[in-house]
Order: sequence, then C-alpha cells, then structure tokens
Amino acid sequence: MGFVAPLTGDQAPHGEDMLGGARLAVEQVQAGGELVPGYRVALVALDDQRNPTQAVSAAKKLVADPDVVAVVGHLNSSCTMPASAVYHQAGLLQITPVSSNPKISRQGFETFYRTCATDDLQGPAGALVAVRELGAARIFLIDDMTTYGRGLANEFEKKARELGANLLGHEGITQGDKDFTPLLTKIKALQPDLVYFAGMFPEGALLIKQRKDVGLGGHFMGGDGLFDPVLIELATAEAAEGIYLTTIGSDVHAMPTAQGFIRAYEARYGPLGAYSAYAYEATNIVLWAIQQAGKKDRQAVLAAMKTLKDYPGLFGRQNFDEKGDSLIRDVGLFTVKDGKFAFLKTASWD
Amino acid sequence: MTPLQVFFQQLLNGLTIGSIYALIALGYTMVYGVIQLINFAHGEVFMVGAYAALTILLVLGIAQPLVGWLLVGVVLLCGIASMAGCGLLGLGIERFAYRPLRTAPRLSALITAIGVSFVLQNVVMLLYGATDRRFPPVIAPLRWEVAGATVTILQVIIWVSSAVLMLGVQALVMRTRLGRAMRAASHDLTACRLLGIPVDRVIAVTFCIGSALAAFGGMLFGVYYNTINFHDGYLTGLKAFTAAVLGGIGNIPGAMVGGLVLGVLEALGAGYLSAQWKNAFAFVVLVALLLWKPTGLLGERVAERA
Repeated sequence: MGFVAPLTGDQAPHGEDMLGGARLAVEQVQAGGELVPGYRVALVALDDQRNPTQAVSAAKKLVADPDVVAVVGHLNSSCTMPASAVYHQAGLLQITPVSSNPKISRQGFETFYRTCATDDLQGPAGALVAVRELGAARIFLIDDMTTYGRGLANEFEKKARELGANLLGHEGITQGDKDFTPLLTKIKALQPDLVYFAGMFPEGALLIKQRKDVGLGGHFMGGDGLFDPVLIELATAEAAEGIYLTTIGSDVHAMPTAQGFIRAYEARYGPLGAYSAYAYEATNIVLWAIQQAGKKDRQAVLAAMKTLKDYPGLFGRQNFDEKGDSLIRDVGLFTVKDGKFAFLKTASWD
Repeated sequence: MTPLQVFFQQLLNGLTIGSIYALIALGYTMVYGVIQLINFAHGEVFMVGAYAALTILLVLGIAQPLVGWLLVGVVLLCGIASMAGCGLLGLGIERFAYRPLRTAPRLSALITAIGVSFVLQNVVMLLYGATDRRFPPVIAPLRWEVAGATVTILQVIIWVSSAVLMLGVQALVMRTRLGRAMRAASHDLTACRLLGIPVDRVIAVTFCIGSALAAFGGMLFGVYYNTINFHDGYLTGLKAFTAAVLGGIGNIPGAMVGGLVLGVLEALGAGYLSAQWKNAFAFVVLVALLLWKPTGLLGERVAERA
C-alpha cells in the first residue's frame, strides 16, 4: 500500500506524525504473518512536500506501481484534491486521514474516502464558539490561500455572518512567509474581538507570536492545521496561552477504544502527534479492505471497501456516506493552557 | 489607535525587516562593486549564518531566556562566531568557486554562483534536516508602548546592532587603507594591479566582510522569527538583492537605504493595500523605480564606475 504526506519541508512534523501512525498499523499486521495468501503487506512512503505538483507526481508513481493496491494520503487538501483525480482514473482506493476540504468528496470519486470531519463542520463549529461563547462581535479572518485554508475560512465566515458577527476583513497570507507584522498592525487598528486563522502551524505560530509583538489583543482561534505541539514551541508558550482551535475529531486521549493504540504508539515513536491517530485509523481500514478482498487486486479492494459497515475504529464505529466521508463527525475544541493543548469539549456545528 | 499611530507602527515593522535586508544587501553590493559579480550564493551565506548561531546556542545548551551580562556575552559570542564562520565560508567560496573564473566570461561566474547556492542549501539540509529548526528563546519577550506603537526589545537590538555594523562598514570603506583599495579596485582592477595593490586579497576581504554581515543578519532573522529553514536564504536573499538594486548596485549607502526602503514599502503595501500582494508589491516598486531611474536611488556613481 502507498502512503503520501509531506516528509520534508516546514510541514514535515505533521507528515512524520502520520507516517508513524501508518507504520504502526502496518507493523502490527506484518507481525501477524500474511495478510492475503501469498502476499505480505508493505508500506511505500512518498514525500509530497505539501506541494500540489509533487503530490501529483507521487500519485502517478503509486498508480504506475502494480504492487500498490491502495493509498493512505495526503495531508494537505491542496495536495489531496489533484491527487484524488489521479487515483480515481486508475481505480485505486485512496483514504485521506486528514484533508478536510469538503470539495474533495463532492467530486464524486468512488475511489475516495476520508476518516475525519470536514471543514463545513469545523468552520461553523469555530464560528459558533467564537460568537456565542466568546462573545466575539468583531472578527477578522486570515487564511493561507490554500485549498484547505481558504475553504475553512469561507465556511467560518458564512456561519459567523449568519450569527450576526461583524466581519472586519478577510486577508490572505503566503505559505513560507515570515513577517506578518504589517498585516497584524492593520488588524490591531480595527480592534477586533477575535482573529481567526485558517492555515497551518508554521505560519500560525508566527502570527500568534507577532500578534503579541505588535500589541494586538483579543482572542485568537484557528483550525486543525495549528494542532501540533511544534506550534507552541515556535510561537512561545507565553504568546500561545489561551488561543482556541478546532480539530477534525474528538480528543483521541479521551477515547476508551484508543488507549491500546496510544500506548503502542508512544512506546514505539514517542509522544502522539495530532494526526497519528487518523493515519492509523485510515491505514487499518485500508488493511481491512485488502484482507476482505483476499487478493492483490485494486478492483477487489475497492469493492471490499464498499461493504464496510460499523468498523470498530479508534473514535467509535466507522461508517462512510455515499461521498466517502466518515459519519463520525465530531469537532473538538482545544485551548492552550500552561504551554500545552488542553481539550475543552466536542463542539457542535449548528 | 489613530491612523498616525498605525502608520508609525508600520514604519517600525518595516524598519526591522528592512535592517536585515540592508545587512545582506551590503554583501551583494560590495562584491558587485569590486568584481561586477552578482553573488547569488549570498542568500545562502545568510542562511548558514542563522544555522551557525543556532548551533552555538544548542552547544551552549540554552533553553531559557538569559538576563544581564550573560545575555550580552552569549549574543556577542553567537554574533562573532557566526560572523567569523561565514567570513571564512565567504573566503572559501571566493577562493575555490570564483577566483578560478576571474578571467572567464561573466556568465560562467554567475552560473557558478547558482551552483554554490545549491551546494550550500543541500549541505545544510543534510546536516540539519529538512524541517524548520526552532531557535531557543534567548531573549525574554519585553515590550514597550512608544507613542501608541509597540516596540519589542528584539526590534531595538536589530535596529541598533545593524546601524552600528552599517556605520562600521561605511567607515571602513571611506576611512581606511583597505577601504581605499576596495574603492580603487571597483574603478579599475587592472590599473590597481599595475599600481601594486594586492587585488586578489582585496577581493577576498570584500567577500569575507560581506559574508560576515549576512551571517549577522541571519542570526537576527533566526532569533526574531524564532525559526530557520534551509531554504529561507532564497527569498530573503532575493529581497536583499532587490534592495541592493533599488539603492543602486555597487553603492554602499545605497544598499543600506535600499534595504530600509524595501522593508518599509513592504510593510506599507501589506498594511494599506493587501497582505497577499506583499511580495509582489516590493517587486512592482522595483520595476517602476528602475524604469524611472535605471541606476537605482543612489546609483549615479555606478554609472561612472561601469
């Protein structure tokens, strides 16, 4: 089976977390001998550098390899989106653990599945918390102009407007940029109650830190792209204290069904990363489908996947709708307390 | 905040990144002034400088903000060591990559510069990994309110130290024998050789000083943004090169002015127009300025030299 995520570049920590989860699942199956008579399962891990072009060439590489019968990947929606078309053409099962842009599944590819909540849930959930619970009336939006960031920000904006919040502005930043003080100064002058950032942790960390440097007060909220301990390191614990973020699933640590996985993961790879559990779940489902298919055949694996019902996963019983999206639709709400992520609750989206 | 206070804060934001651009731009401009080479590896030297400072902080095992003399000592040690290291690196690049091509067509040296840039990037990637490296928090976050704007201690350190270095370079070039030799070399290398000026040594020293300045800029960049990556030299180097052209390439005060102007323009562009056009805005201004004044802001003397 194939695996693709950014393994180099600024988002490599997220990719490594995913790879750890996928590896653990594969190793546990390998320990049990042959998955399918005559074959042992192996993981082919490729790097997409969070770059859509690299993602497509990785996808083509996997498609061209006759030994690859299913793929777990990618991380970024902007990578998953074009890659999903490549897998679809080749009739290759793809499960993305974490790409949360809802448009990907709306393409109607029967080869596509995902094991996390989507941004049309996460965005509104964030907006509800912001407006109803934090009492934010004046909100400024920032996104990173990627498929994920722009999509999430738009979902947040739609719900926030519906709830009657005053949207002061919506600006884009460039991934890889370092200096956001001019934008933050502009935002400071507008005196928002809350700044929402839809993007990933490298830029999120700099925004959180530089927001303090220009003296911008009020709340800061973001999406699951910020959910990595590296965020707090880069932003400094002082600046990150009290920020809010939503995630594409509930707190895995609170799941009784996930305790065995957490112990095994931490014994093998150290502290659990934000996306490890999703990658582990997606990999296990792929392995289950291969086992059900009983042979090394892409079509048989895809057909087996369609029969999946009530799969006992980490977050409860997994089922998928006709678009391939998981029916487990919990959105978690976290904050940063004493330099660590702290789970607050499962947030609702309407 | 009143509009005036916002403008003041944007100015301070721009001056901070502009100071770093200016430090790097000096290296581009000095080298160009002496041998008319655009040293595209210079952005990478800046990045190596940041990694050198990071290495020293890691070796010293600093995990918490320091205070008092210990802080001054560590910052000086970091600065001096990374400047010395990159100065040597600059010497090496000049000696082994550019000197053998001194009489070759100019394009060969330019392509070599790009090659050196790739080599440095990949060496750093292999040594330190491809992910962002975090800088330990050396300096405690201290902030003041000045006339409605927020100023951090790091910004003050960046302004003061880069101003001192820039004045130092200006004094070196204008007041010392070495500086006179550098200025002479920029006019006519052959004539200098005939007059007995050790041209090769002057060129080597120019590379060394330029690289040391970039290294210091790299250290400031790393500490200010708290993170460094092996490809950070590319865009920052390109911006600094833009700053050098903006100020008039080959002209030392021009590089300083160009760096500060570029930083401020970026800040104003992002603050008043749109943040997503921040990078494009800087380059549009460059093109517009070059159409109006092809030699750059302070570039008259370049025309004489060429």
